[in-house]
Amino acid sequence: MTRVRAIERGSSAVFVLAAALAGGAALAIAHGVWRGGDTTRFEATRALAEGAGLTDLALFTEARYARHPAMADLHSAFQDGPLSFEHFPSGALVAPARDFPAAGLRNGGAR
Amino acid sequence: MSGWWARQRYLLDYASASLWRRKGRNLVLWAIFAALVFILGSVILFGSAIRREAALVLRDAPDVVAQAMRMGRHDMALASDIAKLKSVRGADRIEGRLWGYLYDTSTDANYTLQTPSAHAPDLALQKGEAIVGEGVARLRKLSEGKHLFLVSPAGRLLKAKVKKVLSPESALVSSDLVLVSAEDFRAFFELAPDQFTDIAMRVRNPSEVGTVSGKGALALPHYRFITRANMARTYEALFSWREGLLLAIATGAILAFAILAFDKASGLSAQERREIGILKAIGWETSDIIRMKLWEAGLISVSAFVAGMTLAYLHVFAMSAPLIETVLKGWSTLYPRFALTPHVDALQVTTLAFLTLLPYIAAVLAPIWRTASADPDRVMR
Amino acid sequence: MILHPPILALTLAALVSAGALVAASAFAVRLLGRWNLASGAQSQIDLEKRTYLVAVALRFAMAVEIAALVLFVFNADRMSAMFVGAMCAVGALNASVYGFPALFAKIALFFGASLWLAADIVDARGRDYPLTRWKYGLLIALAPLALAEAGLTIAYFLDLKADTLTSCCGKLFTSDRPTIASEMAGLDPRMALGMLYGGFGVVLAGAALARRSARARPLYGVVSLAFFAVALAAVVSAISLYVYEHPHHHCPFCLLKREYSYFGFLLYAPLFAGAALGASAGALGLVRTPASLAHAMPAILRRMVVLSALGFAGFVLVATWAIARSGLILTG
Repeated sequence: MTRVRAIERGSSAVFVLAAALAGGAALAIAHGVWRGGDTTRFEATRALAEGAGLTDLALFTEARYARHPAMADLHSAFQDGPLSFEHFPSGALVAPARDFPAAGLRNGGAR
Repeated sequence: MSGWWARQRYLLDYASASLWRRKGRNLVLWAIFAALVFILGSVILFGSAIRREAALVLRDAPDVVAQAMRMGRHDMALASDIAKLKSVRGADRIEGRLWGYLYDTSTDANYTLQTPSAHAPDLALQKGEAIVGEGVARLRKLSEGKHLFLVSPAGRLLKAKVKKVLSPESALVSSDLVLVSAEDFRAFFELAPDQFTDIAMRVRNPSEVGTVSGKGALALPHYRFITRANMARTYEALFSWREGLLLAIATGAILAFAILAFDKASGLSAQERREIGILKAIGWETSDIIRMKLWEAGLISVSAFVAGMTLAYLHVFAMSAPLIETVLKGWSTLYPRFALTPHVDALQVTTLAFLTLLPYIAAVLAPIWRTASADPDRVMR
Repeated sequence: MILHPPILALTLAALVSAGALVAASAFAVRLLGRWNLASGAQSQIDLEKRTYLVAVALRFAMAVEIAALVLFVFNADRMSAMFVGAMCAVGALNASVYGFPALFAKIALFFGASLWLAADIVDARGRDYPLTRWKYGLLIALAPLALAEAGLTIAYFLDLKADTLTSCCGKLFTSDRPTIASEMAGLDPRMALGMLYGGFGVVLAGAALARRSARARPLYGVVSLAFFAVALAAVVSAISLYVYEHPHHHCPFCLLKREYSYFGFLLYAPLFAGAALGASAGALGLVRTPASLAHAMPAILRRMVVLSALGFAGFVLVATWAIARSGLILTG
């Protein structure tokens, strides 16, 4: 109650809080614009990707179809055994390349 | 207009005082809403930032990769096939790529062994030299000048002097990478000199990529041609499908929250009932009370949304998303250490606002109306 | 179906707002049969009470619809990356037969919703809620549109398949096929701009007239819709060329892209606002002013006319700025 009393009107307290929140968000957005526009950071990486002919992100190293999803075909996940279930956790995060086979699957719309 | 504003401000005065009177209940509601937005927001921000990073980084990936297929499996490409591709008009700089995986028993991690392109002088390697990624260097405690020892599944030993450790900035594409010379690669994996993992092509005119890979497919029918657009689309879809799934699952959480909000809003305490009665008795109209209650709901939900979203931003871009990392790491020992470049996608934020604010407001509308339209004499009695 | 967060959000919005509209129009049917302010019966009191809920729910639903229109177009533009041959929203909308019908239904609903909101605001100013019957009649007319819109939106999303071969805006806006889009693109830019500025003059004159005379307001409504069409034609045939600085790129959707710093939103927001306000003022001008609104209603309508003209002025200003700033010179 004290804080509301210290500021004359309830709406003023709301304005102060709203300004604080908006300020925080604005700082985040400003940070995003300032840092996000900086693509020079990517230059070295791009040069490396070109020089080594890299095609994929090294996010998931546990299975080959997760390490190189762009190079993997739909069956990669099952090639260790046609009846084996997907057993790597990252397999739940990477979708297989739907461009394979080239004609597309019947339900190829699911992404 | 000023009359309208003065009126809204009085309503806001009352709404804020009313929120403060029931601060325990409202704080809980606020915190739950903010937490929900925080979790979903983190996932969405992380996903869109990583997709953007992939798009920027892979802009110079090979235009087309041709992969031999046999019995539905990836097969080795042959030097004679490269020669056939060279006759395709428009294809430029056709090279066999050598790359493969190595499960390293000493660190329980998977490495990607690869040879650099012959057209990259700063990555050129002599026999017995290697360039390693940030993750490999971290796990094997390597630095420039030290020696890397690898054992192949067949028991062959590779000893290579580390020529360079790739900068951590490129960890997202290179963390598990070990670049060696073609000679070492072939000896290590016991490959014949005319064998390659697959074939990378550059196409002179970007608009001809489709035609060139079509012609390539005619020349080499047992090959699969992956264009850079295909790769880009794979990464465009990375997480976005899972994000959708997550959101579909999170619908449960959002619904639960909406029910909670509905319940909180419809459970009128005796004190609240009296309050509404008094307001009506002193001349407030039903629409005024509805407006005041909407201010309350708006204050809670919008401020919680902004706070949750700001926290999500900090979590993903200032702290490298520790909560998401534990999920992404999965079973891999070798997880790249990377800082994402901040990227806020207006579309994603609007989407999240739709998905969280809309059910909340929809859930509290009916209870607000029921509160506001109560008869003064009935509630005062 | 592509399980994409914005698609989930848009589906949710379509379901919520169509649900609200349908439920409200069921109520409207009941209300139209029994509404009698003079009566003190319990059923009338219950009806009156319930109008508050319906009004607030509808305001919410219509606000959601308007926001969903923006999100829909924004999302279509972003999704174009998933389709082969698509460069902007046109490709994504063309990827399914339901794409453009869904967009048009959304735009139609946008105008209907604005009219309803305007009527609601006017109505709330009268002690005896004189426009209630009119308003709820309109609501019943809007409900099928809302259902169609929700149905088309969901059908569109269900029908979408990634990697569909679709056509790009370049195909739609070329003059070798006699469609409205190609007719618009084939318009001589000089003439289109002349019509735009001439039309704006007519709008200003109409607004001045409609401010003074109540009888001119329906006319102003017609003028604003006509100007809306002229403005869209001008965007396709001339303004887009200046923005892209390319003499043959006629697409009104690429303007919404990040590459053009979301210029389209800046351009379309005042235009849509102006047209919606003008058309609503015109439609409400057809209603005989009830006694309890003798002062309030003309004042509100006048303000709507002024705001509408300001919206159009904003559009013309933004367009002129784009032309002045452009490196392309079409008219010597």
